[in-house]
Amino acid sequence: MNHQPTHRSGITRRTVLRGMGAALAIPWLEAMQTQTLHADLAKDVDAPVRMAVLFAPNGTRADLWTPQGEGTEFKLSPTLQPLEDFKQQLLIPTNLWNQASRSGDGHYVKTSGFLTCTTINKTLGIDLNANGTSMDQVAAQSVGRQTPLPSLELGIDPVSVGVDRNVGYTRVYGAHIAWNSPTSPLAREVNPRLVYERLYRAGQPQSKTADQDKLLLDRVLDDARQLDRQLGAEDRHRLKEYLQSVRSIEQRVQRATDDTATRWTARSSFDSVPKPPAKLPDDHQEHVRLMLDMIALAFQTDTTRVSTFMFGNAVSGKNFSFLDGVTSGHHDVSHHENKEEKLKQYAIISRWHVEQYAYLLTRLASMPEGDSTVLANSMILFGSGLRDGNGHDPHNLPLVLAGQAGGRLETGKHLTFSQDTPLANLYAAMLTAFGCSVDRFADSTGPLPGTLA
Amino acid sequence: MQPCFRRLLAILCSLGFATTARPALADPDRQATFDPAAFVSDYCMDCHSGKDAEAHLDLAPFQIDKKGADARMADKAFQWITISQRVMDGSMPPEDSEAPSIADRERFTDWVQTTLQRTACEQGVSPGRAPMRRLTRSEYSATLRDLLSIHINAGQDLPVEGAGGEGFDNAAETLFLSPLHAEKFFDAARVGLNYALASPRSRRQVLGAEPDANLSPHDAAKKQLQSFLPRAFRRPVTDTEQQAYQQLFADLFDVTKAYEVAMQRTLEAVLMSPNFLFRLEPTHDSPDPKPLDDHALAVRLSYFLWGTMPDQQLMQLANQGKLSDPEVLRQQTLRLLQHQERVRLFAKSFTEQWLGTRTLGREFKPDARVIKQFDAELLGGMQYEPIFFFQELLTENHSILTLIDSDFTYANRRLAQHYKIPGSFREQPRRVELPEDSPRGGLLGMASVLAVSSHPYRTSPVLRGKWVLETMLGTPPPPAPPDVPALDEVETSASAETLRQRLERHRRDPVCASCHDRIDPLGFGLENFDVLGRWRTSDQGQAIDSRGTLPDGTRFEGPQELKHLLLERKSQFARNLTAKLMGYALGRGLTFKDYCTVSEIVEKLEADEFRSHTLILEIVQSVPFRYHAGTDPAQTVTTVE
Repeated sequence: MNHQPTHRSGITRRTVLRGMGAALAIPWLEAMQTQTLHADLAKDVDAPVRMAVLFAPNGTRADLWTPQGEGTEFKLSPTLQPLEDFKQQLLIPTNLWNQASRSGDGHYVKTSGFLTCTTINKTLGIDLNANGTSMDQVAAQSVGRQTPLPSLELGIDPVSVGVDRNVGYTRVYGAHIAWNSPTSPLAREVNPRLVYERLYRAGQPQSKTADQDKLLLDRVLDDARQLDRQLGAEDRHRLKEYLQSVRSIEQRVQRATDDTATRWTARSSFDSVPKPPAKLPDDHQEHVRLMLDMIALAFQTDTTRVSTFMFGNAVSGKNFSFLDGVTSGHHDVSHHENKEEKLKQYAIISRWHVEQYAYLLTRLASMPEGDSTVLANSMILFGSGLRDGNGHDPHNLPLVLAGQAGGRLETGKHLTFSQDTPLANLYAAMLTAFGCSVDRFADSTGPLPGTLA
Repeated sequence: MQPCFRRLLAILCSLGFATTARPALADPDRQATFDPAAFVSDYCMDCHSGKDAEAHLDLAPFQIDKKGADARMADKAFQWITISQRVMDGSMPPEDSEAPSIADRERFTDWVQTTLQRTACEQGVSPGRAPMRRLTRSEYSATLRDLLSIHINAGQDLPVEGAGGEGFDNAAETLFLSPLHAEKFFDAARVGLNYALASPRSRRQVLGAEPDANLSPHDAAKKQLQSFLPRAFRRPVTDTEQQAYQQLFADLFDVTKAYEVAMQRTLEAVLMSPNFLFRLEPTHDSPDPKPLDDHALAVRLSYFLWGTMPDQQLMQLANQGKLSDPEVLRQQTLRLLQHQERVRLFAKSFTEQWLGTRTLGREFKPDARVIKQFDAELLGGMQYEPIFFFQELLTENHSILTLIDSDFTYANRRLAQHYKIPGSFREQPRRVELPEDSPRGGLLGMASVLAVSSHPYRTSPVLRGKWVLETMLGTPPPPAPPDVPALDEVETSASAETLRQRLERHRRDPVCASCHDRIDPLGFGLENFDVLGRWRTSDQGQAIDSRGTLPDGTRFEGPQELKHLLLERKSQFARNLTAKLMGYALGRGLTFKDYCTVSEIVEKLEADEFRSHTLILEIVQSVPFRYHAGTDPAQTVTTVE
């Protein structure tokens, strides 16, 4: 690999032809004109493994989720139908649950605890604690330093206003699945244009001003050190967050001036995805797809290898009346009380979420990487922290994993496990496939059998 | 601090004022006949006593008598609040055992609360925690605006914060810093400085006197940093700090050979420093609370009422050590309350979060297929009505009860049409006197409030009732028990029942009735307002029935009578608003320890016609606002300086 991390870097004619399916909207011609060919792209057999988690609030239509049949012989359910093209790349586990999130309330514990598999503290703010680091962050912490961004947290809605006195939880819990540490949820970007600019810049640090930046950051970090001596334990914890935050810039500056062979280079150009519009789209689907494009771009360029995305915050009342047959909000419909009229709408909304997931898979599948694709080198999980929204049911969670993680996962299967198998076992398998040497994760009892190749 | 005390906040607040829509303190007559010891012994002790007590909760050591309990009960305040909450929400005693009446459940809850409150006051007032916290997104923007004399929102790309404590985004406990933040702060600092350098006025603010034949670059930088650093750090800086930044300038000047670039980059560092990004208060080693130093007090006051750094006058008074003088503090507080533009920002930040109207146009978007004639000007009018209203309340020293009912409001052109108020209006809202018979006036006549307490496509008496209980009275109803389905408000074509009939049918179930008897009638009183708060007399061909009956048998009809009922609960309303404002002022959730301060402020409000200035002044002069806890947070302030 010798292509430079410049804006117009190499994509081959073959790349373009292979990627045609989903890439027609791209100004590829412009990109082509300034290219030199990189024949060595095809030899790339040691592509990195990427991991993304897409979280959907409010559960799913329970009776329309589980595929029929077992093992490699299975038929997709109506909700999963949009994934038909990817059937051979799916792993659908049935009967997993997140034991730690069973009590507390209907939504918050099942959102913040979705990737930590721990029980979060019930609080309006004081002693806010997820009591665990999320699975994606365990992965990010193992490889994060190899890429410009350790991980990428995305969402659609800003953190909901206020605290939920009704159940006694701050809504912060409903807006985070990624926990960098038990007490540090990670802020998300909700504006695709800002994400694009961030990815673009992270990928091409300014080496021109790196010397100045370094002086400046040294000064700031020294201020923090002076301060640290005056602080109590609790304040020190905040300062630690600050230091971690500033150091992430420092590392980037160092990378810019680093001339050694281990220097990071973008694996592809930033042209495969168009720059999102400056104005936040009003249309929900357009907004979602632009965000998913950003995950695809980040993975393709290798700007990060770990990402999480939230379709909505916990208890999201997003009005889905833009879909035919839906007249109300998501949360409202999820409390369907087995009434036909609401069930129908719930099914449409559930399926719409899977369609967006399929959109991301299509994107990633259209991005060639050596003889393979970015999708084949990734694992993309879609799921919710509860099954049936009507009863906030934490059993048999709706989950589907796609991509073989570079051949480390055996896909094309529907696997039914014994009742109430820990969700953490799936995460243990994903972390193993990701290359993290973890013995266990939260309440896991071992990686899910039949998933690892 | 003991963990149990820290966690009290959540419980205390969710308990609110005995989770009922009645005054906080129990009616003495009713309490006189209530025997807490008998209650505990009859309903709790079978399971919760001795070594094998259920959930390890042994109630035997609490020697409860009619007057209350011994000090052990206050030591376990957290536990007692949980107990009373369980009793009130009906989850204890469990289903298969003998159950107390709802009235006795309320009496028990009142008793726990009264006892704990009395104990809190007996123990004295402690300032509570004041953890260091970073500037919020809006504080950051306002601070940069004033520090650099710029007119852009430099922090607009910062992530939006969630809320903690009393429900505000300035709560220290939920102001996290992610790796993303440093990047964004870095970008924002550059944007702000670039903007400042482009305009002659702000350029001087940033660069100071530029070097010339008589002034070396290093001397120019020294001078500029001497004036900039204390403003940026909101306190005097030490020589070491001054020299450190001079050194940074010198190093940058070596690299760049340009004064302007080196200075700009030096100031970038200032704006990235924790001394700028965090609100830091000097700590001390004494176990006892100490009054804040003048600069920390200036910072608290300024961020409370203006949401930005202290201005020159506040800094000067702090430098002279005069701000902590009670009379000076009082005058300065009143001065800050006169600055229309900045008080509006305070009103915006506070009311949008307190009322939940920040969700307008965000989480709450009216359904275009159901709600016609919704446009940006109407949205703006709706968003700004409570803000302008609250601004006037503060600057004109009105009674806070005008929030319940008033003879004025604010409207722009579209909102005036919406309200059918005649007169000439523009896009900018203006004050308007309301006629005697207007259904407007007070929060409950405001379209924004009526909208965010509705579904996007239909009104909901349940949501509106809940909004009144939670937002105005501070008594959120508990969530529906897990096995009870939410009340079905959705119209099904098969049923000819009206929404009211459906809700009434559900309330025949005693489990539903225990809460919905309190919630629904309040919402029905507002049914004359549609999703966007337009007045209506019929809905889908049915005449609106806005009658309601409260659990105690009180009957009322329509918004005006509902407002009268709320005015009868003015102390409770005042208590809730006081707690909210205190939480906002302190940037934290209130705890058991703050109970006493809130009660004292409410008493003063009652004695002074509920004037808004009294409320603000009392908060500013309170121990939690003016003191910093020592190493032992349990220590109280005995003599107020």
